[in-house]
Amino acid sequence: MLTMRHDQLSFSFPDVHPSAQVSIDFQRTLRIPDDDRSYPLPPGLGRFPLRHVDDFAANLPPEWLLRGGVMMPMWQAEAMWLSFGAGFDTEREASYPCAVKIAAGKRSAVTGKAWQTGLGRKPQDYVVVPTQPWLDGFCVKKGFIRQFVAMPLGQGYSVEEQLDGEAEFGGLQIEVFPMKRVAFERRFPIVPKRVRARGWDGVLSSPMACTSPLPPCSDAAMGLAAGGKMRQEISRDPYKADEWDTDHGVRCFVHLCNSAAWQDITGHAPPTTPPNARSYANAGLPWFEYYSDQPAVGGGELLKDIRSVAKIGKTKGETPLPENGAVVPQVVIGLAPRRGDEVRVGEM
Amino acid sequence: MDTFGQYLRSRREAKDATARAAGLPGLSLRKVAGLVDLEPSYLSKIERGQQPPPSERSIIALAEALGEDPDVLLALAGKVSSDLQAAILKRPALFAELIRELKDQPDHAVLRIVREVRDGTW
Repeated sequence: MLTMRHDQLSFSFPDVHPSAQVSIDFQRTLRIPDDDRSYPLPPGLGRFPLRHVDDFAANLPPEWLLRGGVMMPMWQAEAMWLSFGAGFDTEREASYPCAVKIAAGKRSAVTGKAWQTGLGRKPQDYVVVPTQPWLDGFCVKKGFIRQFVAMPLGQGYSVEEQLDGEAEFGGLQIEVFPMKRVAFERRFPIVPKRVRARGWDGVLSSPMACTSPLPPCSDAAMGLAAGGKMRQEISRDPYKADEWDTDHGVRCFVHLCNSAAWQDITGHAPPTTPPNARSYANAGLPWFEYYSDQPAVGGGELLKDIRSVAKIGKTKGETPLPENGAVVPQVVIGLAPRRGDEVRVGEM
Repeated sequence: MDTFGQYLRSRREAKDATARAAGLPGLSLRKVAGLVDLEPSYLSKIERGQQPPPSERSIIALAEALGEDPDVLLALAGKVSSDLQAAILKRPALFAELIRELKDQPDHAVLRIVREVRDGTW
């Protein structure tokens, strides 16, 4: 089942195992410069608000309602990353593995391929949680991603438009598959109480404003484009194909709504624009590097030649990214694979 | 059942031990106080039950810093989050009846009425 709480999606599979859960939230962040230099991971600046599309049906285009799911506001040229958490089994002292497929405009963020049912192994088109704690963008090369940056759909910037030649879907699509119960219990046997680590616990604890339909709503649709380059590995799946329970997938369409239209649609103000990367870096605030002990997948074959927002803008004679100058991160904090509830928020 | 302060302290100390065992920065009282913008001495008194629980805002910040469920911490503090208060105040009789009806139901029965995100065609 898929529920939403505190601006976080919670995918759970009570029919498979009580600990089979994944939480996903969408973190506001800085947009790193789109200048072909590679940058460390930017901070999380809090969750984007999430709302059920059904709650604002009168103000949304029919295709949003047809697809269902949730929506969130993003400013044009705003960046974001996805934060993953896994359910934790206290008897086995292990997080319950789940495979998570992420697509933007129905193009896989890992491979660039069109959305397919099930899990693709060659090439791998999903991430494994909790092995992968975050995803910041499109996997363009082994060890490098291009940051998720929101751009209005229909202007030619989104990855979907580059690969499909049209702006049909926009938004984000997510599908989660749990590990089979039998595989989980075989891999992670119950730990006798006397040897349990002290304090080792779970990663998860775990008004309408408009009275008339809003013609600009269709214009409010955003898609994800490829922004600046960042060092981030997509970990290879450490498990076998037949250990995934592909009969129990749960999926969600996350619509991206232009923040400029969010208040008219929902009656609530969207979050303000985040600080720019230069002022953040100049203030000496932290950036992050994540060191994983897992091998990484290669870049998506279809994504390696994807053009970034700045490059497309140059071709079109536009300046889609204000304040895109290079920055020098002064404080970079190294992080080891996540244990417990560590998040990359920094000390702000 | 633990008081708010006892629970807070036990969770913070457990997370601190876990983080240190994994070679990560710990969650000392001073560190957590800094994260939630409270004086360490004040937080210490809250943990020892010498001060009542702090404001809703501080409790939510503590929940975020410790990875705890804010509703659980608020309940232990004898508070109801302002969004829940607003929801109840909108239809107080209905929600009072609903909670009384459900209070002894097993979790799976309650979960049946939790709102799911609707999936459509795409």
